[in-house]
Amino acid sequence: MLVTSLRQTTIAAALSVLALYGGLILSLGWFFDGWVLRDALLSERTLFSVRLSLLAATLAACLAMLLAIPAAYALSRYRFRGRELVDTVLELPIIVSPAALGAMLLIFFNNPMGEWMQNHVLRFVFAFAGIVLAQFVTILGIATRLLTTCFDEVPVELETVARTLGATPRHAFLTITLPLARRGLIAAFILSWAKALGEFGATIMVAGTMAMRTETLPIAIYMRLASADIKGTVALILVLVAIGLTALYISRRLLGRVAHA
Amino acid sequence: MLNLESVTVASGSFRLRDIDLAVADGECHAVLGPSGSGKTTLLNAVLGVLSPESGHIRLDGADITELPVERRGFGYVPQNLGLFPHLTVRDNLAYSVHARGLPRAQFQPLVDKLVEVTGIGALLDRWPATLSGGERQRVGLVRALASQPRLVLLDEPFTALNESLRRELWWLMRELQQQRGLTVLIVTHDLTEAYFLADRISVLLEGRVIQQGEKAQVYGRPAAPEVARFMGVETLQPGRIITVQDGLATVEVGGAQLLAIAPPGVTEHVLVSIRGEDVILQRGVGETSSARNRLPARVVSVQPGMPLLGVELDAGFPLLALVTRPACEELNLRPGDLVTAIIKAPAVHLIVQSS
Repeated sequence: MLVTSLRQTTIAAALSVLALYGGLILSLGWFFDGWVLRDALLSERTLFSVRLSLLAATLAACLAMLLAIPAAYALSRYRFRGRELVDTVLELPIIVSPAALGAMLLIFFNNPMGEWMQNHVLRFVFAFAGIVLAQFVTILGIATRLLTTCFDEVPVELETVARTLGATPRHAFLTITLPLARRGLIAAFILSWAKALGEFGATIMVAGTMAMRTETLPIAIYMRLASADIKGTVALILVLVAIGLTALYISRRLLGRVAHA
Repeated sequence: MLNLESVTVASGSFRLRDIDLAVADGECHAVLGPSGSGKTTLLNAVLGVLSPESGHIRLDGADITELPVERRGFGYVPQNLGLFPHLTVRDNLAYSVHARGLPRAQFQPLVDKLVEVTGIGALLDRWPATLSGGERQRVGLVRALASQPRLVLLDEPFTALNESLRRELWWLMRELQQQRGLTVLIVTHDLTEAYFLADRISVLLEGRVIQQGEKAQVYGRPAAPEVARFMGVETLQPGRIITVQDGLATVEVGGAQLLAIAPPGVTEHVLVSIRGEDVILQRGVGETSSARNRLPARVVSVQPGMPLLGVELDAGFPLLALVTRPACEELNLRPGDLVTAIIKAPAVHLIVQSS
């Protein structure tokens, strides 16, 4: 009796998660206008936002992985000075609001050192690089956390065996650990990418809301809503939802295939 | 020849202290100890995964204490075998060739030979996940041996198998070791396994090697009470040496007196250690024989067991005899019966109590 009711209660909870998100998407239908969606899809400004979002999110996710993979491996395998601190700071982007994170970036670029970087290395404020940086900073912590868990799941023993068979630590990492962690690597990349795609708070702080320059999809949604264009907002939300869900669907298919290999 | 010279190594909060160990070429040496005694830590120090705080590890005289794992040339089969799940059996076996960047032809004859001897030829294109326990075991062994290691390290590799399969693999391992003249260091908590495979045994308890020697010696003549307890000596009783004459000691144990080989040195308080299978039971008083200890005893209980039954006796002190089922039935032993317990003097081992 208890088992049945636990089963029913938990399944009901699971279905209500679907009902919540599904309901939110369906409720868009109230303000849905096919012509507005068509116009939005064909407008140069929307297409620019889609391209900008995809490019920035992909770049940010790739950069984050580039740093997160070695960092996560170190956190998973080695005990070193400062390890605890690194571990703690990973959750910073989650705890601190993205807006605060973006403000911190902006403040940094108004420091002498930040100003020097802006003038001599790369312009970030109100620029494409700023979007990528804002997204990168937002997702780096979570990407590292996800990858640490993923490396934790690869037994150290396997690396030891590989080394007794003559592999250097680097060779063992490349031929054993990395291939075995590939499921987690893909999952971490997709999640980071999706989070970057939807990033708003930090992006708007650093890059602003310049149409045809720094207007990512979430910022475009905000701009439409701010100008009381509800139908336009709905159209853009649907574009974002479609891109996000397609990406998640493809990644699930990819992961499924990897699991069976 | 592998030598550990007063090696102290820490793993987390656990510390292995002053370990001295010698493994001769062509010998199988077992480190025997309960779980938590530091066996895996010891193995990791030998492997090179853990760096000792002090002491030296030498291989044929050369100091390898700080040598990285991949340059030690040791073969390793961990407890869960460590087969690479994303590689086929064939690629698992070939891993060392790739890792070392060696010509495949140099190793192929040996691999082929090992594959044939262990009978895993049909498994080469399979994935590790599809192999049975015994098959995985063989693949793990072949992979470790294929790179012609100077020393083979085994970490309880046979414990997950059922009894008959385990024995089969013990035989295979023993054969491989003797035919190929392998030097093997195995860590295990299983006395039977250690006794079967090893030439020499080191007993590791709470991070220290308490006793090291020929396996029969360690089994029959434990050097310390904790070794005797760990090795499951059936009778372990405090005693007092009354007299020593011609190398034979008369020991008072409870209400009885026993004759035993005298321990070296002058000592009074000892621990009397008697293996259950060394106690012979006889109905009634019986006749004289060469056995020096003939104790009248009362049967307290008969404990079921396979293949030997335990007969709990009161011989002036608690004494346990191990007898076969037919013997027990023929003697028709019941609680309360009077019997004679016969023990040869050399089977009474005296452990000197450190004061």
